[in-house]
Amino acid sequence: MLAILRPDSWNFPLFLHVFGAMAVTGATAAAFVAALGAQRWPWLRVVVARTLFFATFPAWLLMRLGGQWIDSKENIPGDPGWLGVGFIVGDLGFVLLIVTMILGAVSVRRPQRNWPNGAVAVLTGVYFVALIVAMVAMTGKPGS
Amino acid sequence: MDRYHWILLFHMAGAFMVVGGATLAGIFNVAALRRERPSEIVVLFRLTRIAVASITVGMVVALVFGLWLVADLDFVKWSNTWVIVALILWVLANALGGAGGKRDKSARELAEQLAAQGDQPSQELRARLRDPVSLALSWGSGVIVIVILVLMVWKPGH
Repeated sequence: MLAILRPDSWNFPLFLHVFGAMAVTGATAAAFVAALGAQRWPWLRVVVARTLFFATFPAWLLMRLGGQWIDSKENIPGDPGWLGVGFIVGDLGFVLLIVTMILGAVSVRRPQRNWPNGAVAVLTGVYFVALIVAMVAMTGKPGS
Repeated sequence: MDRYHWILLFHMAGAFMVVGGATLAGIFNVAALRRERPSEIVVLFRLTRIAVASITVGMVVALVFGLWLVADLDFVKWSNTWVIVALILWVLANALGGAGGKRDKSARELAEQLAAQGDQPSQELRARLRDPVSLALSWGSGVIVIVILVLMVWKPGH
C-alpha cells in the first residue's frame, strides 16, 4: 500500500515515480553486480554498458520526471528534509549516470584497461546505496 | 517516524526488493539470450540467483507488512476489492515465478553440463533459453507484480 488516499489525478505520476525508482534500483544493482563480475569475466563489460544505457538511464528518467510531475501536483509546504534527499539523489544521479555510462563504454572499447570497469563498479555501488537512502527518506518521511 | 510510516517503510522495502529483483533478473535473462557459449550462460544464471533471493525475501516482507497495514489502518478493510485482488495476484505471481524458475533450473543444469564438455554453442541450450513457456511464466510473473503495484497506487473501488 502506498501512502494514504490521495486525489485520483496524482496516481499516474506517483506510479511512474515509484515504478521508475524500483526499476532504477534494480538496474543499478544489475550494473553493479555485472561490473564486479567483469573483473573476472571481461565479456560482462558489454552487459554492464548495455544495462546502464538501456535500463538504468531510462528508469532514472521515469523516476525523475514522475517525481517532478507529482511534486508539481502535491505542492508540499516548506522544504522538508526527506524531499531534499530525493531531489539530491535524483539530480546527482543524472551526473553520476552520465559519467558511469561513458566509463562503461570506455571499458568495452578499451578492453586492455581495467580501471574504467572498476570505476563503474564503485560508482554504481555508491548510487545503489544512495537510492536506498532516498527510498527510506521518501517513504518514512522522518521529521515530518 | 510514527508507527504507520515504519510499517509502510518495510512494506515498500519489500516491494523494492521484488520489483528491483525482477528488473535485475530480466536484464540477466535478456543478456543470456544474447550469449552462445554455455559457460557464459552459466555465469549469467549464477548472477540471477541474487535476483531470485531478493524477490523471494521481498515477496514475504511486502506481504507481511502489507497485511499489518491493512489490520492497522481504519480506512482500509479486509473486504476491499483491491486488497483481495492484490492477495490473489500475489499468490499467482509466486506460482508463475516458481514454475518458471524450475524450468530455468533445467536450462542452467544443461548449460553447466555443456560448459564442462567443451563449452561449444548448442542448439538444445538455445531452444531451452528461448522456450516460450518458460519466458511466459517468468515475464508473466513480473507483469503481475506491476499490476499489484498499480492496485496499490490506484486502490480501485476504495
